[in-house]
Amino acid sequence: MVRSLPGRLALYTAAIVIAVYSAFPIYWMVLSSLRSPEVLLTSTSLIPGPFTTEYYWNLLELTDYPTQFVNSIIVAAVTVVVTMVFSVMIAYAVTRHRVPGKKLIIGAMLYAYMFPPLLIAIPMFSIFAKLGLGDTLTSVIVSHLTLTLPLGVWFLWGFFKSMPFELEEAAMVDGCTRLGAFLRVVLPLSLPGLITVAIFSFLLSWTDYTYALIMIGSDANKTVPVGLASMIGSFDLRWGEIMAGSTLIALPLFAAFAMLSQYFIQGLGAGAVKG
Amino acid sequence: MSSKATIYSFLILGLSVTMLLIVAPVVYAISLSFYQMDSFVGTPQWAGLDNYARVLSQWEFWRALINGFVYSLGTIVFQVVLGIGFALVLNQVFPGRNLVRGLSILPYLLPTVVVVLTFKWMVDGSIGVLTSVLAALGLPPVYWFESPGAAMASVILVSVWMWTPFVTTTFLAALQTVPTSLYEAAKVDGTTAIQRFFHITLPMLKPILTVIVLLRAVWMFNKFDVIWLLTQGGPVGSTEHLAILSYRTAFSLFDIGGGAAIATISFAILSVAVFIYFRLFPLDTE
Repeated sequence: MVRSLPGRLALYTAAIVIAVYSAFPIYWMVLSSLRSPEVLLTSTSLIPGPFTTEYYWNLLELTDYPTQFVNSIIVAAVTVVVTMVFSVMIAYAVTRHRVPGKKLIIGAMLYAYMFPPLLIAIPMFSIFAKLGLGDTLTSVIVSHLTLTLPLGVWFLWGFFKSMPFELEEAAMVDGCTRLGAFLRVVLPLSLPGLITVAIFSFLLSWTDYTYALIMIGSDANKTVPVGLASMIGSFDLRWGEIMAGSTLIALPLFAAFAMLSQYFIQGLGAGAVKG
Repeated sequence: MSSKATIYSFLILGLSVTMLLIVAPVVYAISLSFYQMDSFVGTPQWAGLDNYARVLSQWEFWRALINGFVYSLGTIVFQVVLGIGFALVLNQVFPGRNLVRGLSILPYLLPTVVVVLTFKWMVDGSIGVLTSVLAALGLPPVYWFESPGAAMASVILVSVWMWTPFVTTTFLAALQTVPTSLYEAAKVDGTTAIQRFFHITLPMLKPILTVIVLLRAVWMFNKFDVIWLLTQGGPVGSTEHLAILSYRTAFSLFDIGGGAAIATISFAILSVAVFIYFRLFPLDTE
């Protein structure tokens, strides 16, 4: 389409405004994490420098950040794996068989991932305290599953529904069992759906603050979002370290997005969403 | 194993895990709201409707309810308007479009804690970059967390920044489904771009827009982390909504029954929204 010059200018301006609005805080976060202490609190120059990596070293050497980073990785990894296994089972079963109450199951899943967080956190905290599992990574993982499992079922249900039955029927005619057909035909073909569920489960678990705040009390068991937030309560605010820590939490997400953006956007479009 | 047995073992295994993880805690939370309990490991005492009577008679509850509505309404309006505006721009063809589309999603990927800490750093007293920008523009500094109005504005602003990409991306995907022939025909008729937006785009995308608004309304109403991290509900309760009141009641005042009652009430309010959602968009399972 041919546009007039003023039309083009307006469009470019709008695009630049959107880009700056969305990216500037992120740019400022990264830049602040690298700007040396003498100028960090005074300079508002858009160009970094003089550079330093000392905040990153302080964070890694003097704080619980590395332990908390590992905690976050464990929590997110286990959450993703468990979510995948059970959401695939439920979603596959309800799309491939006349299950009584199918609508109820799927509807309940959509409903469940909109629950108020405290409705889950209060009883969970109480249950884990009584089981002697308070302040453990297990309690965080279990609370994250209450978000990711419904999300996984909801998304995979839509995905399996659009996948033709003939595929596994053909495999079963050729002598595969249902389980064999599922493992050899359905799962490999569902890879895009599985990746999408994995991304969103990871995103929910990795970014969660609420459940981890409630479940965890000791510094050594905190996940990074909670650990980082507790730095702001201390008396001397170390903005350099806080921005370095923020950058390090964001990095895995940006890397995942850069590699898998097509699945991410597909997932958003299909309604698999992190609220 | 027969085909049917495989399916049923999948279903039974999956659903029992889900029941144990989700249904059991919710049932337990609702039952806790009828008991009095002042420690998480203590023995609950039957209290009937006492918790509800107490909670509903506190004016803090009503303030939190109103704050919750103000916060959700404020965030939804701005997210939706900005999100649609962004989607319309990003739907045009221009050099670097994919880059701008990618950048526009980034806020949505960030953990709330990162967004909040960065915002706090940017508006910090005399040294924050936004503070300097305001000063350069000759505007007075804003003390974001000190006055009730500014605190509410800050939680809304930060939330809108974080969740606008959801609206942008969903709406952008939906825009692709509007047949271009409609626009071409309208153009031949000599309509303006604004007329085409209100007479073609919006009516065509009304269903998806309703979904977006409902989903976002539910999420914003429940959102705990942004407000807690930014203001902890302050100053003087001006940004405290039901989720924070429930957290404070259960985890600071150790009135666990009361906290559970507040959570149950928000659950009931939310259920109305979900009920409307399913009425408007019945599940088509076949």
